[in-house]
Amino acid sequence: MIRIVTLSPFDEVDIALLSRTLFQAFGLGTEHAGSRALPKDAQGEDGRYDAMKLLADIDPVKTYADDKVLYLTDAELSVRPGPLGEPPCWCYTEYGGEKAIVTTVRFPERGVTEASIEAWRKRLARETIHAVGHLWDLHHCYDARCAMHPSWSPGLPASPEAELCSFDREKSERRIRLAKT
Amino acid sequence: MKGPPPRHDQPKEQFPPVEGVITDAADLEPGDRVVYPNQGVCRITGVERKEIAGQRLELVRMEREEDGAAVLVPMAKVSTIGLRKVATGEQMEGVFHYLAAQYDDPELDWKIRHRDNADRLIAGGVLGVAEVVKGLHALSRIRPLPTKEREQYDNSRHLLVHEVAVSLGVPPSLAEDYIDYALMPPVGVVFKLKPPPKPVELPVRPRRKVTRTTDEDDDLGLDELGIALPDGEAPGGAAASAGLPGLPSLGEELAPLDDLMGALPAIPGAEDMPAPELEDGEPAAAEDADDASDEDADDVEDDSDAEETASPAAVELPVSSRPAPRLVPEPARVKKKPAEPVKAQKLAAPAKAPAKKPAAKKPAAPAKPTAKAKAKPAAKKLARPAAKKPAPKAPARAPAKKPASKAVKPAAKKPAKGKKK
Repeated sequence: MIRIVTLSPFDEVDIALLSRTLFQAFGLGTEHAGSRALPKDAQGEDGRYDAMKLLADIDPVKTYADDKVLYLTDAELSVRPGPLGEPPCWCYTEYGGEKAIVTTVRFPERGVTEASIEAWRKRLARETIHAVGHLWDLHHCYDARCAMHPSWSPGLPASPEAELCSFDREKSERRIRLAKT
Repeated sequence: MKGPPPRHDQPKEQFPPVEGVITDAADLEPGDRVVYPNQGVCRITGVERKEIAGQRLELVRMEREEDGAAVLVPMAKVSTIGLRKVATGEQMEGVFHYLAAQYDDPELDWKIRHRDNADRLIAGGVLGVAEVVKGLHALSRIRPLPTKEREQYDNSRHLLVHEVAVSLGVPPSLAEDYIDYALMPPVGVVFKLKPPPKPVELPVRPRRKVTRTTDEDDDLGLDELGIALPDGEAPGGAAASAGLPGLPSLGEELAPLDDLMGALPAIPGAEDMPAPELEDGEPAAAEDADDASDEDADDVEDDSDAEETASPAAVELPVSSRPAPRLVPEPARVKKKPAEPVKAQKLAAPAKAPAKKPAAKKPAAPAKPTAKAKAKPAAKKLARPAAKKPAPKAPARAPAKKPASKAVKPAAKKPAKGKKK
């Protein structure tokens, strides 16, 4: 089961569409499990939220074995810089774990036109599939058409597809089949 | 049948030592974190004594951090499996500078690439794993990776991610972000890179040559097919049949023919002769359809490798069905000879006499079902000249009652008439 928890106000229609997309992508039931407040302790001096700290400090959601919790926020997230600098943070996940967080701050403007809303929803679907994929042990993929391709990659098209490549789809299906429940 | 020599007879290749490799089991202490090649980061939990197959062994017990799987390694083997310490921060910095650096053209020969990548994963240290990831990533920009390499790419990425995570003390998902930030930097980001560390040196592997014994090549299986060559005529070719002195022996002469087996269909006179053993062998050598499509050219170039990777089926077939393909050029040579009437009669005689179906079927009997199908057309081909040549004689003896299309029958009846006389 995938449980979506919102940390900022989101349109109900968007969440309903997202639930449907995640169900189609992973074959797992998806539901909106409510809203939570952003933990203030996780906010840094620059106004960004430390993604690792945020996931650790956030109020828990009731889950069962193999449930995945997906947090959605529009706040900017930060991660610890690596040897070559800080990678842009679109989402942060506990690899093979239970919790993931996706931020919409880097998405294209949602706008008011149908086309822009559609593009925004598509991007939201893509990033959430990416985050949930990491929760099911998927690594980044070199295929720019796959949802597991890094979100900042220059090879990514302007409106990327919200689908997994066949390799990742099979791998995620295998992982889900082998899950405890 | 002689097969390839067992692999354990061959001397092991010596890999150059990699920094951090544990050569003495005494260096290990419970709680240490080590990297087991192809397995990932493990934590030493202790030393156990066990009796296995009557031997009392001292085993190092490790636990794979990723999933808690237990790994037991005999103390004596620790120095040979490539167990190494987790990369230091300095080594890891070098890895990231290597990942972010410009990459030369990836190796395009899949056999060499696959072998080198396997070596790098085993004995290349963390930089070797990074090389595999970067190499396959660079290749994926040219074309999608075939299934096996896609799996290898995923496995090596998994190993690298976990080692980076352990070495830098960050969660694996963040470690993967670091790796891909270096591999695929966003637009406008330029790194100040230090010169990357020297890539891992792989052992030079000489190409193996399979030597054939003369026993294998002497026996062409002509007797089994009921073909007797006249005295002094060797099956080595026109020059050999001329009985020229100083010619190489039969085995030496025929050795190159084996190399030319792949080109058999191009030999004149063999157009209608299928060569199914080659078709069978191809998929065995290259498992993936993807691989097979673009690597046919490599198969031709690299004979020694093809023999190494050939499946048992591919090795066995040529022996059981060797007579058939080699006989193909023979009828062509016989056809050229009719200019010399004496020799033509000599050749026709044994074929006329019960050149017969039972003799032709003989080699097909022990062969596999596929080989049977191959042997039949070969036998038919051999029988044809025998049936055609006596044809002018037949109408003289028997009246033209029977249609010409049944020319085979009189040939079979002849010996019976001879017996009555």
